[in-house]
Amino acid sequence: MIVTRYVAAFLGVMLIVATSYAKEHEGSEYIKENGYEGPKTCEECHPGTAKAFLETVHWKHASKVDHVDNLKAGQEYGMKNRIYTMCNANDIVNNLKEIPPNEAGKTKFSGCNTCHPGDQSVEVGATGPEAEETIDCLICHSSKYDFSKRKAVKAKDGKIIMTQDRSTEAALNVGRPSTKNCMVCHESAGGGALFKRGFSMTKEADVHAAKGLVCVDCHEAKGHLFPSGKDPNNWANDGVYMTCSGCHTDKPHKDDDYNRHTTNIACQTCHIPKTGGAFAKDFTKWTKLSNGFYEPSTLKKEVNETTPVYAWYNLTVSNTPHFIGPKGSRSDGKSKIYPFKVYQGKAYYNKVDGQLLSMDFAEPMATGDTLAGVTCAAKTLGIEKIEPVPGWQTTYFGSNHQVAPKNKALTCANCHAINGILNFKALGYNDKEAEKLTSPAIYFDKVFKIQQENE
Amino acid sequence: MNKLFSVVILLAVMAVSNLVLAGSASAEEMKMVGEISKITLAGDGTSATAILKDTKTGESVTIEVTDEMTLDKFKDKRIVEGDEIRCKFDKDDGKNKSKRFVKTAGC
Repeated sequence: MIVTRYVAAFLGVMLIVATSYAKEHEGSEYIKENGYEGPKTCEECHPGTAKAFLETVHWKHASKVDHVDNLKAGQEYGMKNRIYTMCNANDIVNNLKEIPPNEAGKTKFSGCNTCHPGDQSVEVGATGPEAEETIDCLICHSSKYDFSKRKAVKAKDGKIIMTQDRSTEAALNVGRPSTKNCMVCHESAGGGALFKRGFSMTKEADVHAAKGLVCVDCHEAKGHLFPSGKDPNNWANDGVYMTCSGCHTDKPHKDDDYNRHTTNIACQTCHIPKTGGAFAKDFTKWTKLSNGFYEPSTLKKEVNETTPVYAWYNLTVSNTPHFIGPKGSRSDGKSKIYPFKVYQGKAYYNKVDGQLLSMDFAEPMATGDTLAGVTCAAKTLGIEKIEPVPGWQTTYFGSNHQVAPKNKALTCANCHAINGILNFKALGYNDKEAEKLTSPAIYFDKVFKIQQENE
Repeated sequence: MNKLFSVVILLAVMAVSNLVLAGSASAEEMKMVGEISKITLAGDGTSATAILKDTKTGESVTIEVTDEMTLDKFKDKRIVEGDEIRCKFDKDDGKNKSKRFVKTAGC
């Protein structure tokens, strides 16, 4: 008993020591003495890190992509240059700028690259010492970042830049990025809070968050290269990937019947039954807001209101002007059934070549004139002849976050009831197979036993 | 006569029921977009009030905020005075209790 107490006390002391040690950044003394001067200060102990960071997706907003159809070989793709209908703009055509005066004479600063971790005095993906100096290390690494200090302003040379919090206090509180550091940018993507992927990383919504895990526990970066999943709509990558099986085994359940499913069913299918966010937008008709500015007309749901669409996915992507989504089939031996949020966006296509056109948001934001935005973007991109015609594009977003608590995960009858969520015929099963898969015979005894235990 | 009396009694019962139910009914859910004119954090940091100027009516509405995530955004100034907010709140006992408090801006 006494031994147990000593062991407990020892472990407790070790925990406190470890915790306080983890909190104390080794470079604190240097920062206290010299103040914080941006990446130059970080480089004192982390030499070469700034230069290496310029090669990552977070800086370049693009990378080579090898799992998506119809891309130009050797070219890099990502938020920097992609054109699709969740955003309809990118860092190039919608660079941070001053929006022209609206009807009320008000202007504002706006741009797709406001989340880029630089100061926007150099372009997204720029390299060299000048670019290194603009990196905002603390926005991701400080727990005491004063976000009111990061804002768009007009510099002396007339360029619109993002200011940063480079205070000593922020620099003295650095460490691994918290969920908050990540969500500062990632929750606002797609035009508003939780619009794009429509998931919430709160302890109420996600079991990993509830257990105290943060984004970088799964997206565990090495040298600022972040592992990601192969979402049909997440193209740019750091060349490293992650899956649930990085932490969980391929037989994660106590129940063998559930474990058998992992051959054909992705974990997300049962464990992420809902997402939300924007599900349709019309970029051809912008809505006038009460502040006098316009925004794309958007249909959206709360984070737990959208039921996924299920499809076979072999981790390669079909990419055409009107469809971005999973490739795969029941018979290819590589696919599993995954859940997706299906998003549909209306924008202008070029009648000349059938390609989706991009939009510079400056004019539409001020006046609602969407064609002016398309014309401006075409000019920026050097497209000489455009004949804009409205059209729709369907995009599949992988449902990979907001893992539900165990008691809200899907169980037998959610899929195998006759009105279950899986459309077996659409998934490639014949009539006879579908009939068998939706018969209570395959789950009745098990579910009845569970029901009796719970009554 | 009896029939008329029954109808009157029935209507009276319905009216009383409505009053009782209205009193115990759940709070009314409201939505608004407004610019923050003032944020006041409680000393213990567990709650705050934010005054929003409704962009439609110009009316100032005081919202009570208690959720951890929004309070954290006030503390590190991810949300500051002047920001435009999309807010969903329960109007309950003369108080406006925030259910969703997010910036309208995105990228």
